[in-house]
Amino acid sequence: MAQITFRQADGTTQTVDANIGDSVMRAAQDNGVEGLAAECGGCLTCATCHAYVDPAWLVKLEPASEEEQIMIECAIDVRPTSRLTCQILVTEELSGLVVEIPASQY
Amino acid sequence: MQIKEYPALSQPPAHVPPQLVHDVDIFNLPGAKDGVHAAWKRIQTELPPIFWTPRNGGYWMATRARDILTVQNDAVTFSMRAALVPNNPRPYPAPPMDFDPPEHGSWRILISPAFSPKVVADVEHMVRQTAIDLIEGFVPRGEVEFVGEFTKVLPIVVFLTMMQLPPADREQLMPLANEIVRSPHPTKIHQARLGLKAYVEGVVADRRANPRDDLITKIINSRVAGQAIDEAHAVGMLTLLLSGGLDTVKNLLGFCAIFLAKHPEHVRQLVENPALIPHAAEELIRAHGVSLTARLVTRDTTLSGVDLKEGDQLQQFSFLVGLDEETVPDPMTIDFSRPAPIPHATFGNGPHRCPGAILAKREVLLWLEEWLKRIPQFRIKPGTVPQQDAGMVNNVSELWLSWDVED
Repeated sequence: MAQITFRQADGTTQTVDANIGDSVMRAAQDNGVEGLAAECGGCLTCATCHAYVDPAWLVKLEPASEEEQIMIECAIDVRPTSRLTCQILVTEELSGLVVEIPASQY
Repeated sequence: MQIKEYPALSQPPAHVPPQLVHDVDIFNLPGAKDGVHAAWKRIQTELPPIFWTPRNGGYWMATRARDILTVQNDAVTFSMRAALVPNNPRPYPAPPMDFDPPEHGSWRILISPAFSPKVVADVEHMVRQTAIDLIEGFVPRGEVEFVGEFTKVLPIVVFLTMMQLPPADREQLMPLANEIVRSPHPTKIHQARLGLKAYVEGVVADRRANPRDDLITKIINSRVAGQAIDEAHAVGMLTLLLSGGLDTVKNLLGFCAIFLAKHPEHVRQLVENPALIPHAAEELIRAHGVSLTARLVTRDTTLSGVDLKEGDQLQQFSFLVGLDEETVPDPMTIDFSRPAPIPHATFGNGPHRCPGAILAKREVLLWLEEWLKRIPQFRIKPGTVPQQDAGMVNNVSELWLSWDVED
């Protein structure tokens, strides 16, 4: 298990125990965290599990693949810290990760 | 290309148990003309979860949510290379649909960005204005044949505008798209597919001569797994895209309109509280899915205890997921107060999920917003009957609506 903290646009936070090997998107969905529509269920086709990763953590993640980079640009309100949470796999080392969920996916 | 015509009734293969053979014809479904979704719900309730029909070439039908979701999410065992019933290969390579994972992904990434949240946000104003212009054109009349003057226009004009194709081309394209999903005759389907392909070939030739900043130019200049895309695949992909964008939202809007015309209490909730519209749109979409896509079984497997053989065709009814008690309680009741998110598979799941889903939902939402501002009460025009039927796409071909107009 690794602890992942989700911060909503209104400032509220939720910390969940995520299974190692699951995606951050899956951890959010399984723990009732709102705001990640994740319409395609993790197939990297919809850009609706978009979130911002705390810069201190961003450098510790595997960089986004070429396909993820293409799909990040499909989201709205993209920032340099944008990632698609279906593509971030939970590891022991990511315990403590803070993910900020945008106000809307659309 | 050899076109395979099928007998009215095919002989079940040896591995199909006799008790699982049920004569169900998607082109002649009892009760469909009175209510397509209710008619399919009866099939879901009364027949085994998975059964084999001898119609249209003979194939399996899976009607329960758990099996449908299994099929959608295992796109290798259940390939989309046989998406249409009756089954005949397309006369062109059709990525991404006809390609299985992992190859599928390198094709799909060419299409997914074209209908993304960002693009849909960018075109929202155009969609809204198109809807407003159409609605304001018929509001003073107090009645409209909604299919001819709205559902056949809005989604197709939006799609063609997004593709930078002339909106007037819809007159030429609509009959072909209708034939592909409505016809039980493989030869007619084949000819319609060739018609769409010929149209796309013309467009591709034009973009080669006059490149634009648009999806068509982007696709013909794209690279797939490091290789420049060839003409046949570029044309096939665009032809598939075109056939997917022409006949789907049209029917979704038609079914939603039939429901609302018959349920003034639901309409009143939305008029009094327009903020409810996005959630209500999702609930309407849950219960009124339109597209069917079949699968080709690529290896011997077992689905909920039923043995399937490599080469079998299987129809998984995406729209029945939202109508299944396994998915939501009391699924045949439309309830705008259901908790979010409202689960359904109207747009499919897994790698082949409809790439136009976000656009489709936005079109339903914008239609509701602009329609209800101008026509807050409406009904099925007295003396008329909405024309609906089953098929590869559940369809609404005629719908007269009327409302009171102040003199």
